[in-house]
Amino acid sequence: MKTEVLDKSIVLCRACDLVVRKRALPTGVRALCPRCHTNLYDTPYCSVNGMLALCITALVLYFPANFFPVLEMHFLGSIRTTTIAGGAMAVAAQGYWVVGIAVLVAAVIAPGLLILSILTQVLIVKYRLKIPFFRNIYKKLLKQHSLLAQLSMLEIYMISIFVSVFQLSDYTDLYFGIGTFCFTMLFIMVIFMQREYDIEHMWSVLDE
Amino acid sequence: MSKLSRPPQGESLGLTNCPTCKFLCHLDQGSCPRCGQAVQSRDRTSVQKSWALLITAAILLFPANLYPITIMTSQGQVRQDTIFSGINHLVHLDLLPIAIILFTASILVPMLKIFGLALYLTAISYRLPISKKTLMAGFHIIEWIGRWSMLDLFVISITAALINMGQIWDAKPAPAATAFALVILLTQLAAKVLDTRLLWDRLESKDDTN
Repeated sequence: MKTEVLDKSIVLCRACDLVVRKRALPTGVRALCPRCHTNLYDTPYCSVNGMLALCITALVLYFPANFFPVLEMHFLGSIRTTTIAGGAMAVAAQGYWVVGIAVLVAAVIAPGLLILSILTQVLIVKYRLKIPFFRNIYKKLLKQHSLLAQLSMLEIYMISIFVSVFQLSDYTDLYFGIGTFCFTMLFIMVIFMQREYDIEHMWSVLDE
Repeated sequence: MSKLSRPPQGESLGLTNCPTCKFLCHLDQGSCPRCGQAVQSRDRTSVQKSWALLITAAILLFPANLYPITIMTSQGQVRQDTIFSGINHLVHLDLLPIAIILFTASILVPMLKIFGLALYLTAISYRLPISKKTLMAGFHIIEWIGRWSMLDLFVISITAALINMGQIWDAKPAPAATAFALVILLTQLAAKVLDTRLLWDRLESKDDTN
């Protein structure tokens, strides 16, 4: 009995294991560990419907962003285009398949799986949380979430496009197509999606 | 509650966070009641794992920087660029901002990451005259900024895909690219496997008011 009360009122810092007493926080404020300044918790801010909207938008944008070229180059009358996966293939075709896989995972596969995973989670929370089968799927997805989030590197790819454009624009003409636009929008959607998403909150849904 | 002479840690109360879902678990339960993951107060082998990954990464840093990372053919002339000579070339082309971005992402960040993690790991085993707060702040920065090294690989993949006009103009990756990719992967893993709580266990032994 006494230990249960204790469990509810304290939190352990995940970086240094310090016992910290929990307090109610105003919105938009984060609690930091007093000893090592690691993020402890913040106020739950996780609107399920908002995330559902972001997920669907991101999923719709995902396909044109990956199938249309992100960059187009005109050089001596010939036109060269590339998609993200095309870039990965070009590197892999030269024998550098480690690099190819890294690019493909970080910029295509992981973001796609991340969007699908969050969409499934949101749908389960919204409609099917009571059924044990879906609860299990939900748990499995939550366990993989931090890995997927770490692997998806859309923001870095975005900067890479800019760096490439600056490097090449001295020699030749570069054009942005519908693919670039979709990719930029996808990147913005995913940024907002990850801002809205709170893994601790998603886990705590299971306790209710 | 006589142990209040030192800051209370979860371990002394028999509590720990679940490594997967951060649920507050009792150590004697053995596994997390919410997600089923086995719980453990400290992962003491994580220092060795982290060292192993880090040393491998440090070794790979040499081929990554000494071998060429791109092969450019321009009107029949072939030039091989290492990471550094490529950045140097950009400086000569007056693309200073791009050069700074690439220098940070592909030279500064990997080296700082390896150096910083080595320092952190040493501090777990030996006493160093650096405050733990600084070390922890550094660790968080390393964790966050490490992934930005991928920038160089993305740029290489974009240029390799766009520029393929044989003798006229051609860009290809070169051996250092694989080594560089592995350096990123291994250093990220080294930071991920490490149990940072180990550093703070030494806090109570006298010299630490920080």
